This record gives sequence, C-alpha cells and structure tokens, in this order.
Amino acid sequence: MVIEIHPLVLNILINFGIGLIITVSLNLEVGIAGISQFGRVLAVLVGALVAAAISGRLLAAIMGLPSGLEYADHMINFKIVDQINRTLATNVTLSIGILFLTLIIAALLGALIGYLCSYPALRLKEAYLGITLLAFGDALNTIAWNVEGLAGGTQGVNVPDVFRWIGVGPERYLGLVLIIIGFAMIVFLFAESLIRSPFGRALKAMRDSEVAAAIYGKDIVKLRAQALMIGGALAAIGGALWAFYTGSFKAVTYTRLTWTFWPWAYMMLGGVGNNLGMLVGVFVFSVIRTLIYAYKTELTTFIPINPAWFEYILVGLAIIILVLFRPQGLLPEKPALTLPKSKIEEIKQKVKTEKAG
Amino acid sequence: MIDLVLKAVAYSGGIALTAAGITLIYMATRTFNFAHASMVGWGFYVVFACYSIFGGTPYYYVPLAALFSGFLGILLYFGVNRWLLRAGASPITLMMSTLGVDLVLLATINIFADYLTDVYKINARYFVLELKDLVLGSMDGLGVRAIPFVTVCVVVVLIVALHLFLKKTKFGIAVRATIENTQLATVLGINPEKVYIFSWFVGGALAGLGGGLLSLTMSGYPTVGMTIIVTMFAGSIVGGLSSIFGSLLGGFLVGLSEYIGITVLALSIGGWILAYRILIPLAALVTTLLIYPQGLAGIKLKKIIIKTPGTGGRVGSGGGG
Repeated sequence: MVIEIHPLVLNILINFGIGLIITVSLNLEVGIAGISQFGRVLAVLVGALVAAAISGRLLAAIMGLPSGLEYADHMINFKIVDQINRTLATNVTLSIGILFLTLIIAALLGALIGYLCSYPALRLKEAYLGITLLAFGDALNTIAWNVEGLAGGTQGVNVPDVFRWIGVGPERYLGLVLIIIGFAMIVFLFAESLIRSPFGRALKAMRDSEVAAAIYGKDIVKLRAQALMIGGALAAIGGALWAFYTGSFKAVTYTRLTWTFWPWAYMMLGGVGNNLGMLVGVFVFSVIRTLIYAYKTELTTFIPINPAWFEYILVGLAIIILVLFRPQGLLPEKPALTLPKSKIEEIKQKVKTEKAG
Repeated sequence: MIDLVLKAVAYSGGIALTAAGITLIYMATRTFNFAHASMVGWGFYVVFACYSIFGGTPYYYVPLAALFSGFLGILLYFGVNRWLLRAGASPITLMMSTLGVDLVLLATINIFADYLTDVYKINARYFVLELKDLVLGSMDGLGVRAIPFVTVCVVVVLIVALHLFLKKTKFGIAVRATIENTQLATVLGINPEKVYIFSWFVGGALAGLGGGLLSLTMSGYPTVGMTIIVTMFAGSIVGGLSSIFGSLLGGFLVGLSEYIGITVLALSIGGWILAYRILIPLAALVTTLLIYPQGLAGIKLKKIIIKTPGTGGRVGSGGGG
C-alpha cells in the first residue's frame, strides 16, 4: 500500500498535534482552573529536556556507551546518537519502550514542576502570578542553555530517533505524524473527560468564585495544585514529543514567545475555557503559520518584508482583534454536559410526562 | 573598579527609568505593559538610526526616542487599552492585549532594522553605540564616558520634576486622585481619560528615554527589549508597583545588583557564571513577590523611624502618587 501525502499537509498536522497538546494543557490551567499560566514553556522545556538528556543516556547506558556528562559533549554526542539510532532502527520494542518511558518520565517531572508552581500560585494572583511563572520559565531556559553537561548547552544535543523503525523518508514521516496526532487526540479526549468530570466542575467552580467553591467544601489548595500538575504533565509530554520529532535539542528554541505566548494566542482564538475550541484555534493558526513558512520566498515577492515578521504581526494582530472584538473566541465556552445528550432528553421527557401525569 | 561602578550606574539608571514607566502605567490603568519591551527597543533604534543617518552625538536623539515611544504609548491607549478599560476587562485580558501590541511592535522594529540595512547599508541587526559616547576624561588610561553622569542627571531631574508635578500642580493632584480612587475622582469632576492618556504618554516616554540611554551602555539588537524586560519587571516589582519613586529605586537596585553582582561573581568563581546573569533579576523578582509583594514602596520609613503606634501609619501612604 502506497500512501502519498503532500509534506506540507504532514507539516501542518505535526504543528497541529503538538500545538493541540500544549494548548489543551494551557486551557486546562487558564480556561478551566483560572490560573494565569504565563510560564507554559517551563513544563514544555522539562519534557524536551527529558527526551534530550534522559532518553539518550538511558539507551547509551544500556548499550554500554558513555552516558555521563560526556554524553552531552557535542563532539561525542552525534556519534553516540548515531550508534543508538542504528540499533533503534532494527529494534522496534526498544524504540517504542523508550518512547513511552520518556513520555512517562516527562509527565512525572512535568507534574513535579506543576506542583512546585503551586507554591507561588497559592500566594499570588493574576498578573503577579503570571510574571512569576514567566520568570521561572526564563530561568530554566537560561540554565538549560548554559549547563553543558545537561543537554549540550549552546551546542545542543541530538535526540535518539525512536521512529526510525517505521522506515526511512516519507514513510517514517507519515508514521511519526500518525503517532503524534494519536497522542494529541488522547490528550484532547482525556482533557475533555476531565473537564466533564466532578473534578473539572470543581475547577470551574473555583475559577468562577473561589470563596463559593471553598464554602461548598472544595479544597482550593489541592485543586490548584492538581490542575497545575495535570497541565504540567500534559505540556511536558508535548515538549518531549516535539524534541523527538525535531531530532535535536537546543534550549534557545524553547522561548517564552513560541511556547507560552503563541499557545495563549491559539487558546484565545479557540475560546478560553472551551476544550473543543482548542481544536479550532490550533488548527487555524497551524495552517496559517505553516503556510507562511512554506511560501516564504513567494510571499517576499508580494510584500517586501521578511515573512518571519509577518508571522509576528499576524499573531499580534489576532490577539488584539480577539481581545477587542471577540474576547470569547471563535467557539465560546458552553456549559459542559455531564451526561450524553440523549440521556438528558430522556430525563426531560420523563419530567414532562410526570408533570403532565 | 570605578569603571565598573560607572557602567553599573549607567545601566541601572536606564533600567530604573523603564521600570518607572511600567509602574506609572500599571498604577493608572491596572495594565501590566508587556509592550514596554518593544517601546524600549524602539528607543534603541530611534537613537541608532538618527545617529547613523544624521550624525552628531547620540544624545541629540534621546529626547526624540522618548517622544517616539510616548507616541507609541498614546497609540496603544487609543487603539486598544481605552476600549478594554471601558469594557472593564480583567487584568489578564489587559496584559494579553499589550502582549499582542508587543508582537506587532517587535515586528515593526525588525522591519525597520531590515530597512536600515537595505537602504543605508549599515548593520542594523547588531550595533554598539557605546564607543560613540562623549569621553569626559580618562582615568588610569581608561576613558570615562558621559553616559553614567547623564543618566544620573536625567533620573534626578525626573524625580524633582515628578515630585513638583504631582504635589504642586492641579493636574498632578488630579492624577494622584484618579490613581487612588477613580470613581471618587470622576465624581469631583476629574476626567480620568486625560489621566490615562497622560500616563500612557509619560510611561511610553520613560521607556523610550530609558531605551535611548541604555543604547549607549549596551549593544542593541531588535529583541533587546525582550531580553531586558525581565530586569525591568523585576525593578518595578521590587519597587512595589505602587509608587514611581519606589520603582525608580527598585530598578536602580536590581540593575546594580545584576551588573555588579555578576561581575563580582565572575571574578571570584569564574567567567562561566556570566551566562547566568539574568538569574539575578529573576531571583529578585520572585523573592520579592513571594516574601514581600508590597515591595520597597510598602516599607513605611516614618513607621520605622518614629515608633509611635496608631498615628503616622496613614500619613505618607501612597503619598508618592
């Protein structure tokens, strides 16, 4: 069976998948729990670091290659990773095993980061909390960028290719896209069911009125910490998948602009608080951003400016226009139905007949 | 040693000015202005572009930079902030809107830098104006540049002018009244709109002024504002976000501790630590917020000096405007 899909479509799908994971995690914290998370990059970077620094080291240790500080040395690293990749290409179980193990470690560390963030999140509100979390993100970025023994510092490291077993070239690319989209869908559905669950409704109650939620016996401290932990874990999974996809890790690419502010824009476009809206928001932005990148040269002939700045203007204007004219986003938040619609209709009918009777 | 202190003073003075701008805008409109990054960036570029094209000394163009960024502030107010304030938007929405503006402004700086590079054939993506500064004299063979003294003078003049303005003029009192209680001020016939425009203009102008002066102490590039915004935020938060004078002091302290602290650490531990410079303002920011969020402005000197419980507490609170 030969399936051929335009690489542009695959590119859009990858950006969409990763963007969806990050944005859903952001929406869980901002839209549902009402925590002003301006440090999304923190958990994403943790996830990417796990993929870059831990998964490769684990494999190197298994294969008897240098796995200490010298693993991150860029003069040695590419040789080690090359050797690892050759083994991974034939060993499917090891590839899948290391992928899942990495994601689990990333999720755990992401949750830990979320837990640590709950300390300021309990003491500070809104803008102050946002700035604090932003500061955390920048701090970790500086550390990852400069500590060479961790993940190569300024030189970066290569990330083991856990998708090599699928094949080479377009085949691998297609398989990778399917896996990432699969993960994104799982995350999306998980968030959806979480929001509909009693826990999700408690988070919404906390967002709408902390005092009222506390009066009804909800533990605000615990709820906030849990929301931050789940959000952090999901974002870390997204970061780890992104690092696996790109095949290399450089801390400088994990900026607050790309991994905090852009997901915020996606979320605002989709509709803050509406999980379904995240699909729409992320999709629209992924398509536009990927197309701008793909048709860079063609665009420059029309508009005499570098398309990279065009992208900034687009995201910036989108935020401004949304805030001014449609703060609820494309798909505004609706009350979440906790039962299937058919069941609700059934109950309605029942009540009606009872009344009539 | 003196060279280091002078450089640190020039840097911290610039940071203090920008931090004061952030605080003024926050006090008047409850907007945490992310666009300050690009307004400061424009300050750098106005000075650099004018100097490269027209010559003279960079100082001629610093007022122009202030005016330009002040104009950007007014534009931001009329374009975005005004409508959100009227709609009673939440602080997070206000903050997000300035972030959108910041992205657009950042793009315009980049486009402008590209334009300068294309048309005037100068490297506008990275420049160092420090060497174009006036040399006042020399000490141990090292040239003493004018920028630290100019910056200190600007800060002192600003403090005196703001003090006189806020305490002695009618409009200054109106500004303070609006900041303390907008509704009450409106009832008494003050137009808060004027106060908002004023704060956005002066806040933006302070960003441009700070950026213009900073361009003489550090290298410039399109994302320079993005890089130092953390230090600027740290300055205004250490200052307490409730007094312009507090944030000037906060910005000065944060700038000094960043510049001198990292140099001292580099000399004692090793040069590798220089890369972690940004962690100093970050730590100052986070510790202030977690331990004493009122900041420097929350410390009541009168209460500490004259220990008379019950009185003195209300006097001076928010007096700085």
